[in-house]
Amino acid sequence: MSPNRNTPDAPEGRELHRRRFLSAAALGGATIVGASALGGLDADAAFAAPSPSLDPAIAKTSFAEGRVAGINGSMLEVAGSHGEFHRVQLTNATSIWKLHPTTADAVEPGDGLYARGVEMPDGSIAADAVWVNIVNLHCTIRGIGRDRLELAHNNHAVVGRVVKGTTAASYHGSALSSDLSRLRIGQDAQVLGAWRPKDDSIDIARVSVGR
Amino acid sequence: MLSLLRDLAPLALGALLAWSGAVKLAGRAPERRVAGTALERLANGVERATVALRAVGAAELLVAAALLTAPAVAGPAGAVWSGTAAALLGAAFTGYLVHGRVTAPDSSCGCTARGDEPIGPRAFARAGLVVVGGAASAVAAGPWWETVWRHPVAATALLAGCGAVAAVLFADLDRRLLLALRRLRLRVFGHPLEGAPKVVPVEASVELLERSLAWEAAAPVVRSGLRDHWDEDGWRFLRYTGTHGTDRNARRVSVLFALDVHADLDTASRPAVRVAVLDEETGEPVTDALEDVTARTALPIVT
Amino acid sequence: MACGSTYLWRGEATWFCCGNAWGPCGSHGGGACGTCRSSANHGAWPNASAACWDITRPDLCGEGNIPRRGCGSVMNVRHQCTGATVCITITDCGPRTKSFCGEAACCNGQCRTNRILDLTPAAYSAIGSLSSGKLPVWIYE
Repeated sequence: MSPNRNTPDAPEGRELHRRRFLSAAALGGATIVGASALGGLDADAAFAAPSPSLDPAIAKTSFAEGRVAGINGSMLEVAGSHGEFHRVQLTNATSIWKLHPTTADAVEPGDGLYARGVEMPDGSIAADAVWVNIVNLHCTIRGIGRDRLELAHNNHAVVGRVVKGTTAASYHGSALSSDLSRLRIGQDAQVLGAWRPKDDSIDIARVSVGR
Repeated sequence: MLSLLRDLAPLALGALLAWSGAVKLAGRAPERRVAGTALERLANGVERATVALRAVGAAELLVAAALLTAPAVAGPAGAVWSGTAAALLGAAFTGYLVHGRVTAPDSSCGCTARGDEPIGPRAFARAGLVVVGGAASAVAAGPWWETVWRHPVAATALLAGCGAVAAVLFADLDRRLLLALRRLRLRVFGHPLEGAPKVVPVEASVELLERSLAWEAAAPVVRSGLRDHWDEDGWRFLRYTGTHGTDRNARRVSVLFALDVHADLDTASRPAVRVAVLDEETGEPVTDALEDVTARTALPIVT
Repeated sequence: MACGSTYLWRGEATWFCCGNAWGPCGSHGGGACGTCRSSANHGAWPNASAACWDITRPDLCGEGNIPRRGCGSVMNVRHQCTGATVCITITDCGPRTKSFCGEAACCNGQCRTNRILDLTPAAYSAIGSLSSGKLPVWIYE
């Protein structure tokens, strides 16, 4: 897969026009600043605040997990890890994450995925969001190289690849930064990234280290 | 040399089994040690596996005591029996490892204090060492203390060698050394990830957005994850898709956010975010999309 | 499922995988309770048992009073920023609170500190995006 297919940074022709239109629309929209609505409330008031629509208690959303067994147009056939089977419909409103926000043609058979969406009458799931090969692992940093971190997860060795321009680090809860030079061997780290089925390594999206 | 090793085997193996048995029998949080091991699957549950682990520890301690004291208590026959018992224990370990490797290849063996790596060559080497040590003990020419007494220097050197092998196989000493060496290399040659350009990653902008009031206002409309992003004129644009309205009147919308491209959580805890909701089909702004949320709480909106 | 409204705790929630799974998640198994599944609305609590406490040690981050809630406990988890809510069952032990003492997740300046809940991908994605690794939450039961 070429990196450009995954990074929406190099638009061409129509897409460029579309982005300019969207940019102008966004800048013409409302500006929202100010104090938090829910964060400042006490526990009871926070619970009493009305829920937004994305509320699983109302069972509006469905969830699918598994590996892509086949791709039929924009329909993903997904074999669940516990023997179940899902059909996940990608639409032109579906977000697809595979290390970056990407498009449907980046999904390959053998990929693992989590999908959130709405169940259709025919039993398929119209996906709102699909996360492909995403993992979020608690690791220990065992080694640091120029393009990789040697990680131990549950004492299994895992190679974490540093992806230039993408991999970001957070230190003790700080904002995510492109500066990876404060990572240390022996640190506990939470690594969020995209698993690569071909070589079982992980492309790192973000690594958060504690004290 | 070999005969010396053979005659010292009861001492070396006895000490090893005494340590290993004590850790299994008296170690803290045995549930943690058996969780995820082949023993857990074999015993069909953490509680039964914990009992099994304790039992194995007790057996190791018994065999260790026999190896160390049998020649004094029961003479040469005692040495044969204790050595045979140790070899059988090693053979049982090997059988357990083969079974675990076949039935649960991802699980660990739970054999030693830090035994939560998958069953591999190291685990088999440990079990093999117990078999060989047991066999050697069974055919030892005399009590180990007589050998130590006769060849104090050679015995000390050999036991130190055995200790080093055990440290590598049982306590992962080599890996600890490797980590220390890697740390030293970073200190001497500098950090290999030094010098990355200082830009605000897209993930940082998304994080800032998701903690902002603008996100709270738009969250009920947004259904997707981040779909697209681009930078222009000092702004970073983030695009999501969503649904506005209920059932029949539901319209598919694009939700666009614009933030300062240089802002992140450390520099802007209360960022000003521009938000627009556009009808996906017509491209027209949906002006009432955010009002639904402002009714929820008093959100100050500045246009 | 009884998912109540009595305040229990607040803090930072992350996500993890469990049960049969693909990739590096394959080694996790059914978690401390044996029933954890990534595709179900499950969670991991740092004080699910005494043995669990020894691993997570929330007391080292000043969360020493976090109550014991064992396998099968039901919790209502509410995203502080958006109010989105998901009802979960505790099926595992975690997260390792002690490794990330003081880490905060905030909404517009209002922060929740310390990792005190791990959600399965199903539960986490119901109230947030998996590609954002942590959320500030209120927990009710």
